[in-house]
Amino acid sequence: MFSNFLIGLREGLEAVLVVSILVAYLVKSGRGDQLTRVWTGAGIAVAVSLATGALLTFGPRGLTFEAQEAIGGFLSLLAVGFITWMIFWMARTARNLKGELEEQAGLAISAGKWGLVLVAALAVGREGLETALFLWTATKAAGSTLEPLVGAFFGLATAVILGLLIHRGAVRIDLRRFFSVTGALLIIVAAGVLSYGIHDLQEAGILPGLGAVAFDVSGAIPPSSWYGTLLKGTINFSPRSTWLETVTWLAYTIPVLTAFIRKVRPTRPVPGRSAVPAATSGAAR
Amino acid sequence: MTRRTLLAALAVMSLAVSGCTSNGDATTTVEVVSTDKECRVAATQAPVGTITFDVRNDGNDVTEFYLYDEDGAKVVGEVENIGPGVTRSMVVEAVVGSYETACKPGMAGDGIRAAFEVVDTG
Repeated sequence: MFSNFLIGLREGLEAVLVVSILVAYLVKSGRGDQLTRVWTGAGIAVAVSLATGALLTFGPRGLTFEAQEAIGGFLSLLAVGFITWMIFWMARTARNLKGELEEQAGLAISAGKWGLVLVAALAVGREGLETALFLWTATKAAGSTLEPLVGAFFGLATAVILGLLIHRGAVRIDLRRFFSVTGALLIIVAAGVLSYGIHDLQEAGILPGLGAVAFDVSGAIPPSSWYGTLLKGTINFSPRSTWLETVTWLAYTIPVLTAFIRKVRPTRPVPGRSAVPAATSGAAR
Repeated sequence: MTRRTLLAALAVMSLAVSGCTSNGDATTTVEVVSTDKECRVAATQAPVGTITFDVRNDGNDVTEFYLYDEDGAKVVGEVENIGPGVTRSMVVEAVVGSYETACKPGMAGDGIRAAFEVVDTG
């Protein structure tokens, strides 16, 4: 039961984390009216994943291993692109909220309308098929044992509760720190998704170097342990990583984090300029 | 952006369609039972074509099942997230040759390996 619980928790966290940060951001910046778009994106992803998963499990056709890995891999890469865009979109609108014209903030939001649907859909959908296949096979097993289904259900439910807690915590911290912390956190998450996608494509044989392992700490952090599950579900930490995964992770994290820090820093009050830090939370409405 | 997204979606969809296999009678099914200590593969060979490995987890830990090439390095097929009590299928289109099967209870290490042959029946 516990093992199935952990699978549900891991797969659930992978989807919930990005969505809960996105929701916190919208609520925090007084754009609660945009939430429908996030739920639409997430809802479409869940529906498509469950339907595809059911078709492949119960229907007349299965999916080859290469195809499943390729789908997971390419969706992950696409998700990284959109999450990165979202981080900088958030940083830009955050700056706009701090004194620039209302109109400009509105423009950034309207550009982000479809982006919001897509980010939510990709964040949930990239691992959605794998989760759906796992859920449907657990359902299939329900004839002989209910344990897998119950375990998976509680795992997913726990992920959703953790997402709610993250959202609550995120909403409480002050606006400026909120953007820095969530932005940096999302960059680490996106980097993990990127190396995960690379690993999928390596397993599918589309990219080489599956055997070239950079480090293997699965002795210290077993993937089936609860802490291994949490590390995998949140930042996509893989205890056994190939060189290509590791190098890609660094090649993404270092420049993107640098660019983000540069972008966030000028929003702090500069001496000599008449900054209005006190008005930030009020301007959001 | 919209066009690029559409193209990407089309690419993924065409991959998905070309990656479909028949779940019907034309495939060979090989039963596999994975426990925390054992990996029982019901057959040591299969005729060339579509092979479905139905992997049941009778252990307490999450398991994975792999089909490697002869050298044991390249992954030919993989199915992960097989929780205790769950049976998951791995579908591969294998050419004639020697392979290695592996169960990985605990999702780590090299797994419990065994030789597997795909033979020409024609």
